[in-house]
Amino acid sequence: MNVTYKWLKELVDFDLDGDQLSHRLTMAGLEVDFMEQLGEGLDTVIVARLEQVEAHPDADKLTMCQVNTGTEVIPVVCGAKNHKQGDLIALAQVGSVLPGDFKIKKSKIRGAVSQGMLCSEKELGLAEESEGIMILPNDLQLGTPVFEALGLKDIRYEIGLTPNRADCLSVVGVAREVAAMVGETMKLPELATVEESAVDTQTLTSVTIDDVDGCPRYMARLIQGVKIGPSPEWLVRRLESVGQRSINNVVDVTNYLLMELGHPLHAFDFSTLRDKRIVVKRAKADEKFVTLDGQERVLKESDLVICDGEGSIALAGIMGGENSEVQDTTVDVLLESAYFDPISIRRTSKRLGIHTEASHRFERGADIDIVPLALERATALIQQVAGGQVAKEAIDNYPKVLEKKCVEIAVEKTNRLLGLDLTLDQIDRLLRSIELKTTSLNDGTTLSVEIPRSRHDLEREVDLIEEVARLNGYDNIPVTMPSSRVVHRRKEQHQSFVSRLRDVLVAEGCREIINYSFLSPQAWDKIQLAKDDVRRSNVRILNPLTEEQSVMRTSLVPAMLDTVARNIAYRSEDLRLFELRPVFAVEKEQDQPRETMNLCIALTGRREIEGWSQSNDSIDFFDLKGMVELVCNQLNMQPLRVEADARESYLHPGKSCRVYSGSELIGVMGELHPLVQETYDIDQPVFLVEFDVAKMLLSQTGPVKFQPISRFPDVYRDSAILVENSVSADQVLEVISSVKVKNLDDVILFDLYSGKGIPEGKKSLAFRIRYRSSEKTLTDEEINKMHAKIVKSLEKNLGAELR
Amino acid sequence: MKDKLEAMLIAAQQAVATAADEAALQDVRVQFLGKKGELTAIMKGMGALSAEERPVIGAVANKVKDELSEAIEQRLVLLKQEAVSQRLANEKIDVTLPGRRGQFGSKHPVTLVTEELIEIFSSLGFCVAEGPEVEQDFYNFEALNIPKDHPARDMQDTFYINDEVVLRTHTSPVQIRSMLKQAPPVRVIAPGTVYRRDSDITHSPMFHQIEGFMVDENITFGDLKGILTTFIHECFGKNVGVRFRPSFFPFTEPSAEVDIQCVICGGKGCRVCKNSGWLEILGSGMIDPEVFKSVNYDSERYSGFAFGMGLERIAMLKYGVNDLRLFFENDVRFLRQF
Repeated sequence: MNVTYKWLKELVDFDLDGDQLSHRLTMAGLEVDFMEQLGEGLDTVIVARLEQVEAHPDADKLTMCQVNTGTEVIPVVCGAKNHKQGDLIALAQVGSVLPGDFKIKKSKIRGAVSQGMLCSEKELGLAEESEGIMILPNDLQLGTPVFEALGLKDIRYEIGLTPNRADCLSVVGVAREVAAMVGETMKLPELATVEESAVDTQTLTSVTIDDVDGCPRYMARLIQGVKIGPSPEWLVRRLESVGQRSINNVVDVTNYLLMELGHPLHAFDFSTLRDKRIVVKRAKADEKFVTLDGQERVLKESDLVICDGEGSIALAGIMGGENSEVQDTTVDVLLESAYFDPISIRRTSKRLGIHTEASHRFERGADIDIVPLALERATALIQQVAGGQVAKEAIDNYPKVLEKKCVEIAVEKTNRLLGLDLTLDQIDRLLRSIELKTTSLNDGTTLSVEIPRSRHDLEREVDLIEEVARLNGYDNIPVTMPSSRVVHRRKEQHQSFVSRLRDVLVAEGCREIINYSFLSPQAWDKIQLAKDDVRRSNVRILNPLTEEQSVMRTSLVPAMLDTVARNIAYRSEDLRLFELRPVFAVEKEQDQPRETMNLCIALTGRREIEGWSQSNDSIDFFDLKGMVELVCNQLNMQPLRVEADARESYLHPGKSCRVYSGSELIGVMGELHPLVQETYDIDQPVFLVEFDVAKMLLSQTGPVKFQPISRFPDVYRDSAILVENSVSADQVLEVISSVKVKNLDDVILFDLYSGKGIPEGKKSLAFRIRYRSSEKTLTDEEINKMHAKIVKSLEKNLGAELR
Repeated sequence: MKDKLEAMLIAAQQAVATAADEAALQDVRVQFLGKKGELTAIMKGMGALSAEERPVIGAVANKVKDELSEAIEQRLVLLKQEAVSQRLANEKIDVTLPGRRGQFGSKHPVTLVTEELIEIFSSLGFCVAEGPEVEQDFYNFEALNIPKDHPARDMQDTFYINDEVVLRTHTSPVQIRSMLKQAPPVRVIAPGTVYRRDSDITHSPMFHQIEGFMVDENITFGDLKGILTTFIHECFGKNVGVRFRPSFFPFTEPSAEVDIQCVICGGKGCRVCKNSGWLEILGSGMIDPEVFKSVNYDSERYSGFAFGMGLERIAMLKYGVNDLRLFFENDVRFLRQF
């Protein structure tokens, strides 16, 4: 909503400068988004007189002018044609900077000296288009700044209104607030009264309302014999000052009233009306209708339309029709001032995607009581600027009188909610300042307030309490701390788990990323998910911004790979990233998906940070596995168990596994499949994890149980065994741990070897087994016995040979 | 004999002083004090001495022996010290070479801000609640006094899953879920991901908010100002100016927009604050009776306030990040700064 300082000043007498007004409006809930000084910095553009105009000797299209500034006469070369000797013009003196950062310098044009520029309206930012230079009225004082002389110096405020304040969608509405601020009353400037002809409107036309709920009131005036043409200067300037473009005198008057009173009006070309009458009703199903922007619209039975005797001529409260638009040839005008149901207007405007100044106001709730005033002021103005005969008595079809509400506000409740200590009188004064009518009830503890029909936002006591708080000033409410009872609730288990998990991952060198929860359905092809993979069944957004962001993700992997690829493209090649975010699985016969937290980790590049003494080795599967083991260990999870081959389309089948903690399958990890790697344009191996955090949480063990520490020394034995390649390290470890040996302390696999010296198809595994008793120092004999037992079991169960 | 002993001592002392290392010193010891050494050789002449001379010479011999032993010991210590010094000198390294660092990761700045806010509000007695991101229209709108066909729905462009399910446009539905679960008194904060159908330089279709609310008997607008002023001073510093101004949210009445003095220019006016000197950082208000009605709280008995703010915005102001899109590009050159 745009208002200007001057326009407000015409309605209210206030003593605030431009900045103060801006601040006060903002603090009253009418937030000033933008403030523009009209004519700012243009004081060097002054009124001057053309003393002499001669043709330029060397250029046909230029004139050489002698310009009187009031103090001197200077030469200026001008390219326009519409000026003559004696005209007052706008002279931009040397040094002026015109809108668009256009600097005026002293110059020579085709050999003739020019000390300034004669300006057009466009060059001064006064109009979007203009022809020739601006010729000023004759009575202006030479040398005065043009904006000042024309009374154009002003400030435009752009107010960002909240949707509840439909009453402030007008200069009058804002002025009422300003009046309340400064303790004045708002006054509308008086206009000439309408001069009616002898012909009764009723004899010329009629208004029928078929849909009373959609249109509780419809007024109309008929103005015959108008002359459509440009609006007078003041009207053009006024509309421009609030950002409206002038169209023609009749349309401009309706727009002027829209800005002044906030009430949308519509003018029809009466000659186009079939049967010369108006009917308000619902549209026919699938009716095609061309609005005045030239667009064909397909209507529904729920859309409210204005019809003539045969068909639609306007989309009620939203936009007129092309078939009844006022044109240059229009002679008779039917002027509409009506009130339409907000919900009906909103549904239609939303469905058709038409948002206009009119629909904006009607859907927020216009003022049904201002309908006659708006019509009278508009009629009077049209008569003033376009002439014409106004038929006698306006038609006022008002079948459904909306009830006028009274709302009570209690002093005690007000103070209790706001933390204030106001008296009934103070509250009364505040509410009266915005023209609310109040009556005191119940021995001065309560006020009854009559709500004007313009204030759709005032329905309940609490709405009035808000007005009291607002008008009294939020600044005047004391800052206190609540004396509420203590509530105790600890973080939930999964909340602590997730935050601990994040801490451990960060300690392991990983950086947290956050990707969008939605992605392209093509992402699943990119990671080669099988056609029947359950993750392809996605929650789909009905109105996505793009297809790339149209489904809710069921896996964090595709976005992680995009992130990896993007970073590598930016030459950040050593990456340790993780994402800890929900995924969305479609639930059968449920509206809402199941949201579960997933963890995705990606490692790629060098194992160590680059440096003079660090190796350049690349990360491999076991870096990933080691990290995962450590993280799970830190989170008190049961020991991990893996099963070779994750059976995951995007992972390398030979370098991936499913991961179990206790009996829970928590997810998969492994090297990215080389073909998927290729589709992401990544040219280095990437190692991935995707876990279900809820499953990780399930495998958590209780708090740490302390183990007593032995005071006796440990002894170890190293053994290397030969086994078939197919025997896994896990099998060997399992055999060792299943041997009943009392004092086994620890087993470490310290070497893995195959190749020279080892028979084809076999590998050598070397173990260090540590023995320790909590009761005594073990003897060699005891240790040898235990160790032999283990070796024997390996030979027996795995066909191992001791090397 | 005494002369001989003294002469030997001088010779031996010289030998000790010139011994270059431990081995040479050992040789000196053997040469003079060894079983077959010079001292032993001289002492063989004792037998020829008179009974009066013998103790005198004996004493001299002992003294010579002690002095020499002492000299050897001292020399030994000295040589060891020299050897160590030499070794240490040889072992000198360039301590200005960069250290061999392990790797430490980083949390996303949105997480950092979330954690800080949780910490501040926890200290004020608020506990953390969560809710689904794909939310029913009822919780996201209806129960928050935003009926269908209400212009307030335009304040938030919504992603729809179907007529009744949306991607939540704010964290406020957690308010409803929490209140339906427990009776007053409640103090809850709810950080979370939210979605709006809007994407440009200053809008992201997904971002994060934190919601907070408090309900009990006698909670006032003054208390709202108290809690939020405390929060802002904790988060942005004790000297930051705060102002509350009227606004509108369907689920609060009265509603207040909260501004802080621009942290970039200190209130003088700059590009970030659009020359106003103030930055809008959160929306708040007294919980609307309609909301209480939808969760079966008695609005005659209880009152409360609620607030919500964008976490990216807080992060941008705290860390001076100038582009919202950076939060979701996940460029490690950005991430490693936090």
